Amino acid sequence: MKHLIPEFEKMKQRYPEGFESSLVLPCLQRIQEDRGYVAEEDIVGVMEYLHVPRIQVEEVLSYYTMLRRKPVGRFHLQACRNIACSMRGSEGILGHLVAKLGIQPGETTPDGRFTLSVVECLGSCGTAPVVMVNEAYHENMDAPKLDKLIEELR
Amino acid sequence: MPGRQLIMDFEVTPTSHTLEAYRARGGYATLEKALKSMQPADVTKEITASGLLGHGGAAFPVGRKWSVMKPGDGQPHYLCCNADEGEPGTFKDRWILEHAPHLLVESMLIASYALGVRNAFVYIRGEFDLPWRRIQGAVDEAYAAGLLGAKALGTDFVLDIVVYRGAGSYVCGEASGLITSIEGRKPYPRNRPPRLTVKGLYQRPTVINNVETLANVTGIIRMGAEEFRKVGTAKSPGTQLVSISGHIAKPGVYEVEYGYPWVKFLDEDCGGMLNGAALKCVIPGGISTKVLTRAEIETLTLSHESVNPAGSGLGSGGMIAIAEGTCMVRLLQVLLRFYHHESCGQCTPCREGMGWMHRIIDRIVDGKGVPEDIDRLYAISHANDGTTICGMGDAAGYATVGILNKYRDEFEHFITNKRSRFDGRLECLA
Amino acid sequence: MPRLTIDGREIEAPAGQTVMEAAKEAGIFIPYFCWHPELSVPGNCRICVVGVEDKGGEWVDIACNMPVAEGMVVYTNSEKVRERRKATLQFITLNHPVDCGICDKAGECTLQDYHYEYNGERSVSVDSKVHATKHYDLSARIVLDNERCIQCTRCVRFTREVSMSFGLGMQNRADHSLVRAAEDGSFATDAYSDNVIDICPVGALLSRSFLHKSRVWYLEPTASVCPGCARGCAVNLWHRRPEWRLRAPDMRAQNEGIQRVTPLENPAVNGPWICNKGRDLAKVFGRARAEVSMLKGRPADLHGALAQARSLLGSAGKPVAVVSSWGSNEELAAFKAALGSRFTTFVKADHEPQAGEVLEDAILIRADKNPNTAGARALFGDAAPAIPKDADLVLVWGEGFDFRLIPPEAKIVYLNAWLQPENGHADVFIPVSIQTERDGHYTNFAGVTSAFSKCFAKPVGVADAEAVFPALAATAGGGQ
Repeated sequence: MKHLIPEFEKMKQRYPEGFESSLVLPCLQRIQEDRGYVAEEDIVGVMEYLHVPRIQVEEVLSYYTMLRRKPVGRFHLQACRNIACSMRGSEGILGHLVAKLGIQPGETTPDGRFTLSVVECLGSCGTAPVVMVNEAYHENMDAPKLDKLIEELR
Repeated sequence: MPGRQLIMDFEVTPTSHTLEAYRARGGYATLEKALKSMQPADVTKEITASGLLGHGGAAFPVGRKWSVMKPGDGQPHYLCCNADEGEPGTFKDRWILEHAPHLLVESMLIASYALGVRNAFVYIRGEFDLPWRRIQGAVDEAYAAGLLGAKALGTDFVLDIVVYRGAGSYVCGEASGLITSIEGRKPYPRNRPPRLTVKGLYQRPTVINNVETLANVTGIIRMGAEEFRKVGTAKSPGTQLVSISGHIAKPGVYEVEYGYPWVKFLDEDCGGMLNGAALKCVIPGGISTKVLTRAEIETLTLSHESVNPAGSGLGSGGMIAIAEGTCMVRLLQVLLRFYHHESCGQCTPCREGMGWMHRIIDRIVDGKGVPEDIDRLYAISHANDGTTICGMGDAAGYATVGILNKYRDEFEHFITNKRSRFDGRLECLA
Repeated sequence: MPRLTIDGREIEAPAGQTVMEAAKEAGIFIPYFCWHPELSVPGNCRICVVGVEDKGGEWVDIACNMPVAEGMVVYTNSEKVRERRKATLQFITLNHPVDCGICDKAGECTLQDYHYEYNGERSVSVDSKVHATKHYDLSARIVLDNERCIQCTRCVRFTREVSMSFGLGMQNRADHSLVRAAEDGSFATDAYSDNVIDICPVGALLSRSFLHKSRVWYLEPTASVCPGCARGCAVNLWHRRPEWRLRAPDMRAQNEGIQRVTPLENPAVNGPWICNKGRDLAKVFGRARAEVSMLKGRPADLHGALAQARSLLGSAGKPVAVVSSWGSNEELAAFKAALGSRFTTFVKADHEPQAGEVLEDAILIRADKNPNTAGARALFGDAAPAIPKDADLVLVWGEGFDFRLIPPEAKIVYLNAWLQPENGHADVFIPVSIQTERDGHYTNFAGVTSAFSKCFAKPVGVADAEAVFPALAATAGGGQ
């Protein structure tokens, strides 16, 4: 993460004095965006750079659903399973993805291209069902749209 | 239009969110008014007089919250905008972030002026991408224009705003969880006392307000409390952004003037139920509010004084319309699975209770329910009512009790017959 | 000072106190798991709820975070409170394994006590319990059972507020939260880690060295002082009750050894904590003992050894003594009274800091690894031992002295408890008792004097130094 430090220094300027601890989360997010996940050396790097106890970084990594210590596939498909999406067909969406990709939620396709996850409400209930692909929301999904999406991503 | 529009009062175009477009609509003129012709205390007084209530779910009087922050106490004050929007069914703050981000920025400037804040934060849930880019873009534009990070509009007032991204946790929408997250730690909510307006972010006085709550500030200061009170009702002044989803024909975000008839809103503004289905019940404002049946909402208006006595609340504005033929047992299963997933794990009743309720409902849906399960769900809900560190335990209890009270027979049917009365259906029958 | 009423008793409490603190000071008991007087208030267990009168009704909230207020009327045992407590216990025991039969904490377990007192019924759940890691190596010294853990976070807070190792944390969330050690091993090197065993209210954190050794009700504690350094922390040495002695052969270690060591709270010295070194006192006191008097390495009886020592002292022109900083105030006083005028006396450090042990810190540990340097120096000064070349008799008391410092022609009288090679080099060797075999006092580096009590009988043939010194002086300088 050393090459990101100039960026982190700029980020620090926006925060009031005494807020070093606050930078743990944005630094981890940027590291994950860069590497794809947070590695052991990143944990050590963050704790040394921000002078926070290592356990704080470990706890943060274990708690938040969007942070990970292992890589995911090139495309991380996150299907919402909460109420509005369930009422507009998300269970079928998930079933379709499982069948099409041949993996269960939590798994990655053997070619490393797709990882499938189930997530809770994404705040897009009006355009349910919603599947998040990496950072982007794919809304009003149905089986044909999913097939098209997967073909494009393949 | 379900009544007068105060926030969604312009045409959304590919550029209507920009600084230029916002200025063309009169943007930042109110900031000038506040900074140059009002004292900070005057701003707070105006907000108090307006009767503005919080739009995050608790409907707490905003002026009352603000007036706890004492100017000149020698401490840094902080303002946090709660843009975590994690309550299932709720996506109305997203509209403001995407289409009216400068309204939020201007409002935060005015609020910070009133509260003696030098550093403010927008805490936005990590999953939001376009909303984040829009609000960060607006903040960047404001910095470039010298409205942020510099003496604004020729006055001595300076404000810095940091847009802080979450990373996937519902309890970051809880005020004390939110600030603990900004502190870079696991977002465990905190016990009160102390109130956050006394000891909040890094133990300093902090005001946390919802996106929509803050978005109202500019309008109130522009038109004055008296004019604002002409919109809505006496007890529920102004408007509420309602995000409606579920088995409704035209899901989306609507600005509803308080006092607007509920059924009219559903049938006319939202296009009625999907494919002409019959309405079974409504979740009024996020899943933590108790369901109300079609019959119960018949005579209600969308206002606090109408909905509260009916045994529910407008909550976060996340309305979900549920059609006849939907299995309420499976619906509760989805909700309990959510609460279990989001429990932070700190306090006993929620940590153990959420898992327990989830396991019970899973067992019922699996055909292995026993009659005692219903009373057990009631008991766990009761044991989470007012006993937890934050409101999530209570919320899960309300959601559960709300559905059990109205649809106990479906649960009894499922337990006795080992199957759903409605084929376990969650999608619209029609 | 606000005046409030708790269970009908009027109490005055300083403003800023919580109801929990005020009740404790007034001797009124409110149950608690996560609260601890030395740690921050997390308010997560929810068992300390009390009722507060309000407009003819009663609201219920946790006492540990409730500031006292003038005119407050508090009930610690109303029906609402009892109902709440019972529900809380139902939640806590929901996933708690019924391990009592194999759990070391049985008999001193807060959860057991509260269950019987405030719940007393079997589980109302028909669902299976959540499973988690059991027998987890939290460190080389501590075994963790995550199923028993009630997530009170006392252990985590201890490492962040007392030992400052930041060695523990709570991973994940919801009911799959798990106490875990930081992955950089900072818990393993925490010199105070074992305190979490005491403060854990249940059997989640257990001492590996004590694991399954004995039921606690077969043991009794004797108040003592840790000799590991000059802090002199108060400790309880646990050993088998006489009526519960094991009768099988070869049970000496179990019947007569220290089974475990726990802190004894002493606000003037160590509060409720001790360092890990104090936990391992069984090893210190359990070392091989010298039990036979010797004359130049040949076994002799005590009486004969004393007589020979008296004779050597009688003919000594320049006797020098090096006394033990592990000697009790009573023993040191006896030396001074009987022999102080005859000897040039120095105080030695029996123990020096070992490689790998913490030298000194801001918490408890002192660089001087001996319990009574202060007591000894008060009587004999603080000059480091420097044996003059013309010393013709050197009396060494206690281990750790370099015999090469003794002039080759000088006679040596050696008092030592431990079986060590130097014992055979002495002209007269007398085996002496150790701290656990007598009553006594140590004075710590800050001048605080603490008492220790006898818990074991000394081996046959071993003498008390306190009796040896007058015996040596009996005809010193004179004939008999």
